[in-house]
Amino acid sequence: MLPVPEQIHRVTGAPDTLVLKRHRDLDGRRRGIIARRALLALLAAVLLAGLLDVFGQRPDTDLVSARAASLEVFAPVHARSGVLYAARFHITAHHDIRDAYLVLDPGWAEGYTVNGLAPQPLTEADRNGRIAYGFGHIPAGQSLIFFMSLQVNPTNVGHRPQNVELDDGEKAILTVHRDITIFP
Amino acid sequence: MDIVFRALVVYLFVLVLTRAVGRRELSTLEPFDLILLVMIGDLVQQGVTQNDFSVTGSFLAVGTIGVLTVVFSYLPWRFQVLRPVLEGVPAILMQDGDVVEKNLRRHRLTQEEIAAAARVQNIGSLSEVRWAVLETNGQISFVKKGGDS
Amino acid sequence: MDIVLRAAAAYVFIVFLMRVVGRRELSSMEPSDIILLVVIGDLVQNGVTQSDYSVTGIVLAAGTIGLLATATAFLTYRSKRIRSVVEGEPVILVQNGETIERNLKNERLTLDELMEQARLQQIESLDKVKWAVLETSGSISFIEQK
Repeated sequence: MLPVPEQIHRVTGAPDTLVLKRHRDLDGRRRGIIARRALLALLAAVLLAGLLDVFGQRPDTDLVSARAASLEVFAPVHARSGVLYAARFHITAHHDIRDAYLVLDPGWAEGYTVNGLAPQPLTEADRNGRIAYGFGHIPAGQSLIFFMSLQVNPTNVGHRPQNVELDDGEKAILTVHRDITIFP
Repeated sequence: MDIVFRALVVYLFVLVLTRAVGRRELSTLEPFDLILLVMIGDLVQQGVTQNDFSVTGSFLAVGTIGVLTVVFSYLPWRFQVLRPVLEGVPAILMQDGDVVEKNLRRHRLTQEEIAAAARVQNIGSLSEVRWAVLETNGQISFVKKGGDS
Repeated sequence: MDIVLRAAAAYVFIVFLMRVVGRRELSSMEPSDIILLVVIGDLVQNGVTQSDYSVTGIVLAAGTIGLLATATAFLTYRSKRIRSVVEGEPVILVQNGETIERNLKNERLTLDELMEQARLQQIESLDKVKWAVLETSGSISFIEQK
């Protein structure tokens, strides 16, 4: 039995444990009803934010141009665990690049499953804690498009840099600065 | 963005599907129907989640379904025209102990099924029934003869 | 560790959602409601387990939810305030055959739906209803006039 004083339902004649003022006239429950509507609006706002891509994973384009070359990176900057995506790196050589390297921050591999690289780089090496993919010679006026297929591991949550540097041999041509935020 | 959108599409799909199949078919809640419903739910969920394992993603999808549920309960409440479309119209199956053949045929119901539904509600014979109505939720309601009516 | 936290977050989110959306909408057990409930359950499960296929993971996640359900039941038993926050309170919809319009409006209930629920309990007219109450479970209870 609920702890309701006996005289309440005797006096008002409502079903047991119900109180007319509270359960019919909703006295003292206005606040609860308003709170419920406010929370519903909040939920709708979060969903709208989701639709507006706050939680990922529409890709963003970053384009950096230098005299020798330009590099366009097309990849999400917000992602959620488990999602698959492919990052696209588009190098356009304005002048001859004798020995092109893409130097990626470790954030491109940490907590990811790298499903594949296309085209397969000629060389893959460490460059002072970063990952260097070598593509060899890109003649002036030509492009190179490189895809990296990734899956976010579920434990990979947080915010980390994903800068991309384009090098000719050891010499840096340009750097694309970007970060990724991964939601749980 | 996509997951909210996928949840929205799937909600509408489930709505259309259950309206198209007919309210009686899947609503008897026999084990077979329940298994089918769970299967449909599982299949649909895969399409919504795809390979997204995140808590954020599941909250977004579930939240979308929740908000749409409120929207689709508000719409027929606010706009009477939408009620037949979204909720359907109750159909009278029996009047004063006689079955209305046309409505039985239309909803693919046999007299045996009505009698079975009546027994579940402690009504032994259809002759005791004043009204039997196929409600929009797929259940059959009965009002007995007698009393003050 | 994460799976326990994720399960706890999922539990809290479901309680929140059911309270805010209102139980009545999903409680009529129509085919579409059942499908949606299964979809909700699946979606939540997917976020909780993620890529964890282990038995240990299941035990931790299901255990967390079970424990939280018990804790909620205990708290709502002990405190009336918590009960009204978590479960809501019943609302009287009909008194002596008269509908209380404001309460129907608050719950987005049409007269058609109210009558449908009444007929399912073998009541053909509201004149015969002394009380109709929307219970916290989402179902509507009817008490006939003597």
